[in-house]
Amino acid sequence: MSPTKLKKMDTRIKKIKKAALELKEFSGGIQAVDQNASRILASVKMLEINISDILDLRS
Amino acid sequence: MVRKKEAENYWNPIVETLPIEKMKELQLKKFKNIVQWAYDRSKFHRKLYQEAGLEPGDIKSYEDVARVPKVEKAMMRDIQRKDPFPYGDALCVPLEEVTEFRQTSGTTGTPVYQPDTWQDWEWWAECWAYLLYAQGYRSMDRVFLPFGYNIFVAFWAGHYAAEKIGCEVVPGGVLDTEARILKIQELKATAMMATPTYVLGMADTARKKLGIDPAKDLTIRKITCAGEPGASISSTKQRMEEAWGAKVYDHVGATEIGAWGFECTSQPGGLHVNEAFFLTQLEDIETGETIEEPGRKGKIVITALDRIAQPCIRFDSKDVAEWAKDPCPCGRTFRIIKGGVVGRADDITKIKGVLIAPSAIEEVVRSIKGLSNEFEAVVIKKGDLDDITLKIELFPDAEGSRETILNQLRDQLRLKTNLGYNIEVHPYNSLPRYEVKAKRFKDLRKHG
Repeated sequence: MSPTKLKKMDTRIKKIKKAALELKEFSGGIQAVDQNASRILASVKMLEINISDILDLRS
Repeated sequence: MVRKKEAENYWNPIVETLPIEKMKELQLKKFKNIVQWAYDRSKFHRKLYQEAGLEPGDIKSYEDVARVPKVEKAMMRDIQRKDPFPYGDALCVPLEEVTEFRQTSGTTGTPVYQPDTWQDWEWWAECWAYLLYAQGYRSMDRVFLPFGYNIFVAFWAGHYAAEKIGCEVVPGGVLDTEARILKIQELKATAMMATPTYVLGMADTARKKLGIDPAKDLTIRKITCAGEPGASISSTKQRMEEAWGAKVYDHVGATEIGAWGFECTSQPGGLHVNEAFFLTQLEDIETGETIEEPGRKGKIVITALDRIAQPCIRFDSKDVAEWAKDPCPCGRTFRIIKGGVVGRADDITKIKGVLIAPSAIEEVVRSIKGLSNEFEAVVIKKGDLDDITLKIELFPDAEGSRETILNQLRDQLRLKTNLGYNIEVHPYNSLPRYEVKAKRFKDLRKHG
């Protein structure tokens, strides 16, 4: 896996995280949005552990 | 650089083949983060560190990790059942963010409660995904889980990890043993997760009550074990593999820690430590000195690097292990503990002046053909002297070789454990049978 591809993945991970956080911000308290966005963020954390956390070690 | 073909062998080839120096760098970065997290959010951790004169910022090098005070299970028991109820002040998130409750089995005392957030629960499944993938689980597997889905963590995360890998998961929860075997047969399940005791017990039930030979009549080809050391004890592993015609893989974990070690398909004679998720250190049992070199046994002190609700930082697991010398042919750079967890510091005891781990007795009993899977060792004091009795059963068809088997047993016990035993032969099927954590070693000296 090239560093460029890792960086591209990290960029997408950050975008997903930003989008999930924005969903929560705009939800107006709709639980169906808040809780599902929280679940997305838990999965995003696993992507960070698997990709983003390694990035600065490899660069 | 990892090629695509090679990448298929790993759940995450980047992490699993990280050079050791990079791994240490990753661990140190994460260790600092989790200590800071706990210090900022938990009265328990802040007090612990302040009393030791330590601030999170004092941790600058890998060597500094050993300066951080250890946490013992008894400390966790003391803080629980208090506010915020029921977890006490090691909780690092608001109660409303806790989504999962589990508790320890209570084998060594009052059970410890374990809160997890949804992120922690995802993390549990991720740890298990690493181990199941390393054991050959793939999306075409139909995985049967014959355990009681309840308050113990057991194989819960194995269920969700198998789903994450893409396997089809069959929850065998409240079915009895016979119904579980029949369901495995009906669905042609290919993999299973259970304790070694239950794996052997199921095979016994299949043969005796249903006339089913698991090795020939069932399609289970991979079994993942947990809860007992049996799958790392070669004679017990062999019995399970022969009974089921399957590969049997060990894994090690704990409710308070997570699933931190696993055997891969190369079966290198030990367990990989998932070092991307856990910082594992071996400490000399008497001096507390950190052991880095292979071949020297020590107590495992472990940190879960990304667990947030009730962090596990420098937890004194009491498990005893040693680092293996050679790397694994599977290509993972995760270090290996040789022979798995060889015992618990609490269980390793002196009998007649000889240091012994109960697993050594299991290794001998299960290596002798003609002896059933069940046994019980009982240690008492007779006057000032230790006295150990080993209760065993013969399979009914082995009665004709009784004396040969007993002589072999005495010789092997003397050779492998340096002790003489009173041997009691009990009728077949009369010793206790267990489904979960078996208690086959009873040291009654402490109770007078």
